[in-house]
Amino acid sequence: MVPGMVTGQGRIEQAVRVWLPVGFFLLLALFPFYWMAVTSVKPNAELYNKNLMPLLVHNPTLKHYIDLLTETSFLVWTWNTLLVAVISTAISLVLGTMLAYPLARMRFAGAGLIAMTVAAIYLVPQPLLFLPLADVINRLNLGNTLTAVILTYPTMLVPFCAWLLIGYFKTVPKELEEAARIDGASRLQTMRRIFLPLCTPGFISAGIFAFTLSQNEFLYALIFLTKSSVRTVPVGVIAELIRGDVFYWGQLMAGALLGSIPVALIYSFFVEHYVAGLTSGSVKG
Amino acid sequence: MSRSRRDFLKIAMAGAAGAALAPGATRAADKSVTMLHESSFIKTFDEYMLKTLAPAYEKETGVKVVYELTSVGSLPTRISTVTETGSGADVTMIFLLYPFLFDEKLMDVGDIAEEIGKKQGGWYDAAKEAGVVNGKWKAIPHSNIGQLMNWRTDWFKEVGVTKFPDTWEELYEVGKKLKAKDHPFGFELGHGFGDNHGWLYPLLWSYGGHEVEADGKTVVIDSDETARAVDFARKFFKDCMLDDVLGWTDVSNNKAWFAEQISCTNNAESILWLAKRDFPEIAKVTDQAMNPQGPKGRFHLLNCISHSVFNFSPQKQEAHDFLRWVMEEKQLGGWYASADTYYQPFLHAYDNAPMWQVEPRNIPYRDAMASAHLPGWPAPPTRQLAEVVAKYVTVDMFAKACAGSSTKEVIKNAEAQLKEIYKTA
Amino acid sequence: MTIRTERLIGVRQAQRRRRPTSLAAWLDRESVFSWLMMAAPIVFLAAFVGYPFVYGILLSLQDRPIAKPGTFVGLKNFIRDFNDPIFWRVAVNTFIYTGVATLLKMVGGLGLAVAMNQDFRMKNLVRAVLLLPFIVPTVLSTVAWMWMLDPAFSIFNWFLIALGMPKPGPSWLGNPYLAMASIIVINTWRGLPFYGITLLAGLQTVPPELYEAATIDGASGWQRFRYVTLPLLQPIILIVTLFSVIFTFADFQLVYVLTHGGPQNATHLFATYAFDIGMGAGQLGLGASVALMMLPALALLILALTLYMRRQ
Repeated sequence: MVPGMVTGQGRIEQAVRVWLPVGFFLLLALFPFYWMAVTSVKPNAELYNKNLMPLLVHNPTLKHYIDLLTETSFLVWTWNTLLVAVISTAISLVLGTMLAYPLARMRFAGAGLIAMTVAAIYLVPQPLLFLPLADVINRLNLGNTLTAVILTYPTMLVPFCAWLLIGYFKTVPKELEEAARIDGASRLQTMRRIFLPLCTPGFISAGIFAFTLSQNEFLYALIFLTKSSVRTVPVGVIAELIRGDVFYWGQLMAGALLGSIPVALIYSFFVEHYVAGLTSGSVKG
Repeated sequence: MSRSRRDFLKIAMAGAAGAALAPGATRAADKSVTMLHESSFIKTFDEYMLKTLAPAYEKETGVKVVYELTSVGSLPTRISTVTETGSGADVTMIFLLYPFLFDEKLMDVGDIAEEIGKKQGGWYDAAKEAGVVNGKWKAIPHSNIGQLMNWRTDWFKEVGVTKFPDTWEELYEVGKKLKAKDHPFGFELGHGFGDNHGWLYPLLWSYGGHEVEADGKTVVIDSDETARAVDFARKFFKDCMLDDVLGWTDVSNNKAWFAEQISCTNNAESILWLAKRDFPEIAKVTDQAMNPQGPKGRFHLLNCISHSVFNFSPQKQEAHDFLRWVMEEKQLGGWYASADTYYQPFLHAYDNAPMWQVEPRNIPYRDAMASAHLPGWPAPPTRQLAEVVAKYVTVDMFAKACAGSSTKEVIKNAEAQLKEIYKTA
Repeated sequence: MTIRTERLIGVRQAQRRRRPTSLAAWLDRESVFSWLMMAAPIVFLAAFVGYPFVYGILLSLQDRPIAKPGTFVGLKNFIRDFNDPIFWRVAVNTFIYTGVATLLKMVGGLGLAVAMNQDFRMKNLVRAVLLLPFIVPTVLSTVAWMWMLDPAFSIFNWFLIALGMPKPGPSWLGNPYLAMASIIVINTWRGLPFYGITLLAGLQTVPPELYEAATIDGASGWQRFRYVTLPLLQPIILIVTLFSVIFTFADFQLVYVLTHGGPQNATHLFATYAFDIGMGAGQLGLGASVALMMLPALALLILALTLYMRRQ
């Protein structure tokens, strides 16, 4: 039995109990996407016609999608965004783990101080850091390269991953590690071979959020990436689909959908693994 | 995923993405000049530089020209980074108050200014306002992106008006009638950047109101003239416009125009240009006119694009020569023409250029330059003025009045803010 | 048990291959191991956060116009901020924005988690789809909302007018109160999935035995929720709320794209105001001082939150 499952009698009651609340949230979450979808296939003439019911399309067209993919660097931006997100997430998970494991498992002088400092770092806001960071980036001659954001994104992701992982690590029972230590394994071996493999759900959790935050980041990308070929999606669309005071609405919405739906599908794949990890039984021993 | 597998993936990705990650290549042995520019509303303008001018210069002199485009709104950020770090570009587009803010990092280009001015009919006064800092030319004015009245000829005709009204009061009367017919006006009162200043400063000036005097110190906003301008704005908003304009940003009036929601607004040439391309029926009934005048005259906002050379650049001499070459008539004329007069030249030689005949409705933009001034005029462009503009002091003064506050209160608040900011002047 | 034995065998094999030396023993001490392990992240954070942070503080104590050298002015920037009515408006805005949005997200997120904590087909797909508001780049969803909130095109106004409201209906971005409400709603819409899905993970670790025991004792569904679920969820609620508060407090994109702080500064936040002063007016020192003011405010909020939750 899945922990926390609600039992209900009767199929209809089950359906209502599930789909009424879930459906409510689905509606809330998705109606702007319906709007985006509808806008992305409306020809301009219909789009600007305020007399038509906004939610219906009369003459759908794929022109906006085609224009987006052929006349802008959208695919380049998407590739850049993915690259940056994956690498930043990987770096953040590694560094986050290196911080989280000692703080969750070890006792040593200074542990409390480090924990508080990491938490405090999280409070330092991006708008304060961006100019000094720009200075650092330029001194390293990394202006307008993806490395600039790959190095700066973990500044907001590492404390986040560390916190989340500390919380998760603490819930893993210590017996296996203790047994390994008794049998003579070094701490490093214990960590790598015994402990970390158990934490896959935690990594997936942290990884998903880190990935999302990274692909959504705007301020640093705005400051560091001003050349079209290195832009990520958030700043790329602002740059080319908003020219002066004209928004290319149809293309913007097409970009919104193309930029999010594939990612959601990938997540649904990972979420399955996450659930499998939780219920595999090896955690509870 | 085990750690080793994660590491492997990381390495593989890094290898595949090496090119995008590598630090910028150091300058090649042959000379090259990097020109920063904000991406133009008119694509052909950028293409002219990329495909015609840059290659021509390289052919003539062997110097490669790298034309780097930033998104609209990102140029000040990019210039900041370049000046703070001392590298990244040699010559740049620059506008509004930025030549004054970045003054110490810009090369004195008076020699180019004198030469070009002499050869091409002389500069408009407004150009000097934009490019001369403390007596020296720090930026070569290129063009103005004017902000003028756009109006619907068909709807104005319905209420018996065939020529655009000459004064604000006359415009107000027309607006009242048109709002009653469900064709209201729409002038931005929100936190955009161009369209709000584009009518509010000219309105203030045309009633004789000033924020700060030309000495750059005395705050004079609390005056009868200002009060009259504010009172006018309030009734103009209440009786002629949509409520939503209080939250408008620069894109809103374009959207409203194409949705056929409004019959009059202020804008650059972008509305007509886009209309002709995508909404030909609307384009036929769109016309452009100079700002109405008030008791103290007719004014327009100066939105001057210029070019400056960074004086810390190792290629500053090459950049200087490139700039001079671009400003020569052969290159400049072609560059202007590629943008359908979206950029209005500051040199009198172009007053009767053929490009004006391509779209005669744009001619008012040329005529407006004679009465154009920078935001905050007559105060000199200084850091205090930049702060006033960035904090939307004047815009919000008008907006709050339109939203319901009393004229006395909004002027007092604006005055307090101005006094606080100019304390250090 | 089988798994455990396998793993032990693997460790023993590794151990046989390893030769115990005093270096290895030293490396294995708790403190040495810990500090070595944390070395890389600490260095990284010191370089990319610590240094810029100190630089930022120094900046806030200077009068530093762009492209010009800075002069030390002590606390003058902060005094200017305190005398700036917009600064106080910005502070109030940010607190209201953060407070209300976080509350809505917490309540909504709990509701979402409870609703999703049931077994049904397509659960994984639904879970992923519910994350879409969080996944879609904020810039783009904000642009979509911009259109949805334009009275001429808004489906909300369309419905309200159909129900009898006079045309053109509410001005969502023109009225200062509605504009604040709008950004709160969009932020909630965007952040609720984050809350919900994380709380859901927490819900799933609650042992069913506890629910069973409570039911046997006669507790109703609501009482089960209040006395079993909520207390156990408390640590996770605390963590997620802290993150959410920090993110929302420092929010930039949403306001920058939607209203740029208007109408009349009704939606200006610390981040957008600091940006305008730093990049728009070129006053780096003053901009840094505004950004720095986020810290005590944030620290206070978080302290209050932590104390409140600990007390529960």
